[in-house]
Amino acid sequence: MTNSIREIRDADCIFITGSNTAESHPVIGYEVVRAARRGANVIIVDPRRIPLVEHATLFLQIKPGSDIYVFLAIMHTIIREGWEDRPFIDRRTEGYDALAAVLEEYTPEHASLMSGVPVEQIEAAARIYALGKRVAGASIYADGASGTGERGHSTILYAMGITQRSNGTDMVMTLANLAMLCGQLGKPSTGVNPLRGQSNVQGACDVGCLVDVLPGYQRVTDAEKREAIARAWDVERLPGEVGLTIVEAMHAAAEGRVRAMYVMGENPMMSDPDTSHVERTLRGLDLLVVQDIFPSETAQLAHVILPAAASLEKDGTVTNTERRVQMIQPVIAAPGESRPDWQITGELAARFDARMGIERRPGYWDFASSSAIFDELARVTPIYRGMSYGRLAGAGLQWPCPDASHPGTPILHGETFSRGRGRFNPVIARDPAELPDDDYPLMLTTGRVLYHYHSGTMTRRSEPLDWREPGGAVEIHPDDAAAIDLRDGAPVVVASRRGRVRARAQISERVPPGTVFLAFHWREAPANMLTHDFALDPVAKIPEYKVCAVRLENPRAGLADRLRRSEGAAFRTSSR
Amino acid sequence: MIELTIDGRAFHVPPGVSVMDAARANGIDIPHLCYHPELSTPGGCRLCLVEVEGRADPVPSCQLPCAEGMAVRTQSEQLSAMRREIIDLFVSDHPLDCVICDKAGACLLQKYAYEYGVSETSYDKHIARSLYQDDNPFFVRDHQYCILCGRCVRVCEEVVGASAIEIVGRGFDSHVATPFDGPMIDSSCVFCGSCVQVCPTAALMPRSRLGQGREWDLERVETICGYCGVGCQIEYALRDGRILYAQSTPGAPVNGEFLCSKGRYGWDFATHPDRLARPLIRRDVAYRLGLTDEPWELPDESPLDTGEGVIEERFVPVDWDTALHVAADGLARTVQAHGPDAVMGLSSARCTNEENYLFQKFMRAGIGTNNLDHCARL
Repeated sequence: MTNSIREIRDADCIFITGSNTAESHPVIGYEVVRAARRGANVIIVDPRRIPLVEHATLFLQIKPGSDIYVFLAIMHTIIREGWEDRPFIDRRTEGYDALAAVLEEYTPEHASLMSGVPVEQIEAAARIYALGKRVAGASIYADGASGTGERGHSTILYAMGITQRSNGTDMVMTLANLAMLCGQLGKPSTGVNPLRGQSNVQGACDVGCLVDVLPGYQRVTDAEKREAIARAWDVERLPGEVGLTIVEAMHAAAEGRVRAMYVMGENPMMSDPDTSHVERTLRGLDLLVVQDIFPSETAQLAHVILPAAASLEKDGTVTNTERRVQMIQPVIAAPGESRPDWQITGELAARFDARMGIERRPGYWDFASSSAIFDELARVTPIYRGMSYGRLAGAGLQWPCPDASHPGTPILHGETFSRGRGRFNPVIARDPAELPDDDYPLMLTTGRVLYHYHSGTMTRRSEPLDWREPGGAVEIHPDDAAAIDLRDGAPVVVASRRGRVRARAQISERVPPGTVFLAFHWREAPANMLTHDFALDPVAKIPEYKVCAVRLENPRAGLADRLRRSEGAAFRTSSR
Repeated sequence: MIELTIDGRAFHVPPGVSVMDAARANGIDIPHLCYHPELSTPGGCRLCLVEVEGRADPVPSCQLPCAEGMAVRTQSEQLSAMRREIIDLFVSDHPLDCVICDKAGACLLQKYAYEYGVSETSYDKHIARSLYQDDNPFFVRDHQYCILCGRCVRVCEEVVGASAIEIVGRGFDSHVATPFDGPMIDSSCVFCGSCVQVCPTAALMPRSRLGQGREWDLERVETICGYCGVGCQIEYALRDGRILYAQSTPGAPVNGEFLCSKGRYGWDFATHPDRLARPLIRRDVAYRLGLTDEPWELPDESPLDTGEGVIEERFVPVDWDTALHVAADGLARTVQAHGPDAVMGLSSARCTNEENYLFQKFMRAGIGTNNLDHCARL
């Protein structure tokens, strides 16, 4: 996030898109509820009628994948009506003219045709967001009073609905363009705010668990930075080519270019697209080492399983979605012989070196504590350099925190952007890679439900959570259900070109006609059997989980239908 | 800024702040039951009455905005008598079985009864509400302890936005209810437990702690939630190394006193019998190493379809030394035969910064590859 979570409650306008905030980030959902009750406008752009819609003033229900047209039309309207923030554009940005030129053709009328959202809603969203309008109540910001013609503070919240797309990078740049166009950046309760889905997904990126960057987002292709880190790590050289992302590695492994995988706390059998392909690939590896807390679906295919301690059983730091580095503490004892991941990785690395005949100084892999690892991490990670366990106790610190006296950074881009002027990157609309056709006439979108988390290895083993939500259901619009004579609660088969999944039908107007939703927590109805991995975002290499083409089949239909259906892959049925 | 005096001390506060909040910010605790700093202030319990110079009657401090030159007294003979009377009324329909109550030591009514010396009611004792609702595994609502302060109703509406409950009925019939008094699961409740968090008495209690120990038996540890990326601080209450329940504290930097259902109730996975507790090697590898006598092949059955016992069936427990040796040896063989880029590392967004740092250092400085990713994209 460019801004901090607690600022959301004071925003004048909250623009939420591609985030089912109340279910995936409930505590941020509370911030939105509070703001709405104080009179903020809440605009939601989403294919599904998510729970926060109840608190929204404007709900733009789009067809999956058509949001890009809506965003471009919102910017088109802002420029047409002169609602852009001229002083901000002149002082802080570059490339405005090119942006304006591209936006000219993206009219609200066109967007309305593509998305199904009425023109008036698009124009209203443009005005409310650009000017930071409230429904009621006074803005706490001196420049943001409602009705005075001044600009209130608008914030954008988004999540994987924006990024898990074949044009995800374009989508994020579009939201950044929108914020810069209206000067809704660098101030409290504004910004472009990705809500990250896992406790330390921000930190894992920060410390360099990515193919192209070293700790602190220093590019592996930057020889100077790479050599500096090589010196800090006492190695002659570090690899300088960008590596393979998770989905690319699955393809490389299928072709025999990747032969071994070391997987720490991840479950690609459930979380990667096209499960059948993932399983074939993992089975073909020479070596699969899985380090985990549970015998996950992936661990079951491993050659070696290393038992790890859970986050409740160890110390260390995690970084939240607002870049706040906070300390975790061991609460309970780890079971049996399981160990914290850092100890396991350190031991494995030392043994690998010994086997390869590499000698290292003492303390290279065998750290005495996680605090000692953090000190090394902070030395090589400029945005963390001013942090230490001593300083992190209590409320933690938000990066960048470049030196020991720096108070941390709650709001990014306050005076300047990291590159100086913010550059508008004009984006043209592109459709999802796989659109409905005669064989697969519906769109599937995936996500989470409130009571479960990711591949379900933890939450499905929690008694109260499992009681509340014991299994998955496919949300289907009444019109689509009627077309195959499907009753609420009845079994239904969802089929795509990759596979078939059997699940319970939940007939609901939460989804628009033509769209079905299935969360990816359910081992007995794995949504990623259906998703595809052939259209990664060209920059971020993220698969398009949020849109693929499917069809529904009613397994209780007549015999003739059943015979026809028996072609193709086997059903996934519950084994629990 | 506005200048006022509270109990003779001068304070400067911004406009719009209530006397209650101004006092609390300066370490003066005004007794209160229905007031909660994160919620609206109905001023219903009347315990927070204060005297204001120039006004004939005491005023509820939670609803009284600070004004320039205001002189407030939070303690006096008259106020004590009034508060004693209010507590007397509260305990007239509240069981005083504090000796067996799980909330004892953290109950606000008990605290004020102690402070104002109310050991029993002077009225006829009549406990009007007797409903005991344990229709869900998250929390229990024991209506006899409810003082109708309305905090649960307000937090559900004002913070969570679920509006699952409200106060219904009149007089002795009034109670907190879901629509038609139906079970919680049929209401709009999201089981976040915020109502339990703000309940001042034992009316709402985490089910997992009932009968498991009293406030002073519990050890408390603060950490950060392991689920989504919000990074809520959670305080776990333990006894003998076992988690009894989770809550949050007002000082939590991101979430204040609020958590979601996963954070507050989803911690029991950690002690699930499925937890991996020993290093394991797959049977075919174990056979090649001479650790088992029977040859074995990985069955075709997908891990999505396997049932219980699959781990015992497919794997052999080994010591750490053996497991690490097999893993390190396999990685070394791959690097020697096919080069470092034949290895892929997947780290975890649920592991710590330290663990992820060490992981990428191993992949880059040890193995020698940038084939290194985690679930950021998934």
